Amino acid sequence: MIRLHDIHKSYKTHLGLRPVLRGIDATFRPGEKIGILGRNGAGKTTLLRLIAGVEHPTHGKVERRMSVSWPLGFAGAMHYSITGADNARFIARIYDRPVQETVDFVEDFAELGEYYRLPVRTYSSGMMMRLGFALSLAVDFECYLVDEVIAVGDSRFGERCRKALADRQERSALLLVSHQAETVRAFCTSAAVLNDGRLTRYDDLDEAIAVYHAA
Amino acid sequence: MGRGPAAAGQWRHATAVSATTQRRAPPGGAFARQMRVIGALTLRELGTRFGRDNLGYLWLFVEPALLGGTIGAVHYFTGHGLPGGLNPFEFWVGGYVPFYLFRGVVNRAPSAVPANQSLLYHRHITLLDIMIARDVLEGAAVLGAMIAFLAIFGIVFGDWPDDPFKMLIGMMLMLLIAHGVAMLIATGAVYTEIFDRVTHLVTYLTLPITGAFWMVFWLPSEAQQAALWVPTVHLFEMIRDGHFGKVVPTTYDVNYAIYWAAGLNLLGMAGLRRARLDLVV
Repeated sequence: MIRLHDIHKSYKTHLGLRPVLRGIDATFRPGEKIGILGRNGAGKTTLLRLIAGVEHPTHGKVERRMSVSWPLGFAGAMHYSITGADNARFIARIYDRPVQETVDFVEDFAELGEYYRLPVRTYSSGMMMRLGFALSLAVDFECYLVDEVIAVGDSRFGERCRKALADRQERSALLLVSHQAETVRAFCTSAAVLNDGRLTRYDDLDEAIAVYHAA
Repeated sequence: MGRGPAAAGQWRHATAVSATTQRRAPPGGAFARQMRVIGALTLRELGTRFGRDNLGYLWLFVEPALLGGTIGAVHYFTGHGLPGGLNPFEFWVGGYVPFYLFRGVVNRAPSAVPANQSLLYHRHITLLDIMIARDVLEGAAVLGAMIAFLAIFGIVFGDWPDDPFKMLIGMMLMLLIAHGVAMLIATGAVYTEIFDRVTHLVTYLTLPITGAFWMVFWLPSEAQQAALWVPTVHLFEMIRDGHFGKVVPTTYDVNYAIYWAAGLNLLGMAGLRRARLDLVV
């Protein structure tokens, strides 16, 4: 379970303090597949980073009672100067996983071919995304935080990701942020709308999408 | 009255958190996990800094050794004598290598956080882990170079260190003080770019007062009192005491250096904790 208690987040800019999130309370339960819909700049990525613990809220508290992945997106979490395989070794070490098993799993899932033994900086953005997703699946988290990338990758890999997440239905929760209602519909069973720094949960997916489109 | 339920809520939260930690902690607990993370970070740092090309990891020792050796050789061959009749090569290397440690750790501090931001995607990696991994590696490299030099001095000049243990403690305290300063600089660098711009300048300007290239007994007595306010002066004296023994008089107080190391490290750790909350990754 993940609980958000009155989360506020502001950033200091040259134009003064810019509030992004203005008081978010929410609970995400094990196994739930939730889409968070929001326009560009609504604070979706910020919210995901706070839940992941990459950044900290200006006010409020994030309570994590299950293991939570890092936010999966194009950037972050990987080291560009070392190879994909070395990244897998590193992840295995810091998350206390068997090293060889992790290296093999990632090689198999990410399908990077010979690039797996080359520095990540030589990868295309699609390859980086595949590596990042494979690394996080290798750790086997109870909740995955995904930043609309799966939809951006090629459809075949998107399908495999969906399958991998579905296989973990029982134990793994999914929090997916997106500005596209179709992406949320493809991956999630319920949704929330992030608007004006506040989050509204809807049990019914269609209702959430209707509200999102109306806003 | 209003505080009652809130306090109870906090208490419940606290028990929940500790329950999670207990369930997920490996045998040996949080400390073991932190050591594992620092170990993995050190390995990664080794890989990213030195790569797998040509000399690879050997650069770790070769870099400080080349610089120390060159400085020592220049002074050896220009041939001016030193008070107390010390071998100039040994004196300059013995001062330069620990200084290199101090400068290396401090100069690399402003880039420590920006260069490792991607690590912070992994929640249980702290800024302290990142700093420790970098500085332990730097310390190991410089210690390796120092040992190599001492072996060469022993073989070439027949001068073996008088008390290697004192030298080791001196180097360790040097590393700790540098690490404390580095943590404070890394903290500051999260808030302003000034540290990035002036750190190199300041380490360069402070070189004359660190005590790397002179000894306390060379100074007039009033200057000696002033010099002994500087914590690194004590450490260079201690390292020379271990190196040359009773050949030259040395003045130092280990406890004074330990207090500095402890103070700087506590402030540095507190600073990093605070900076992590404000850091935009």
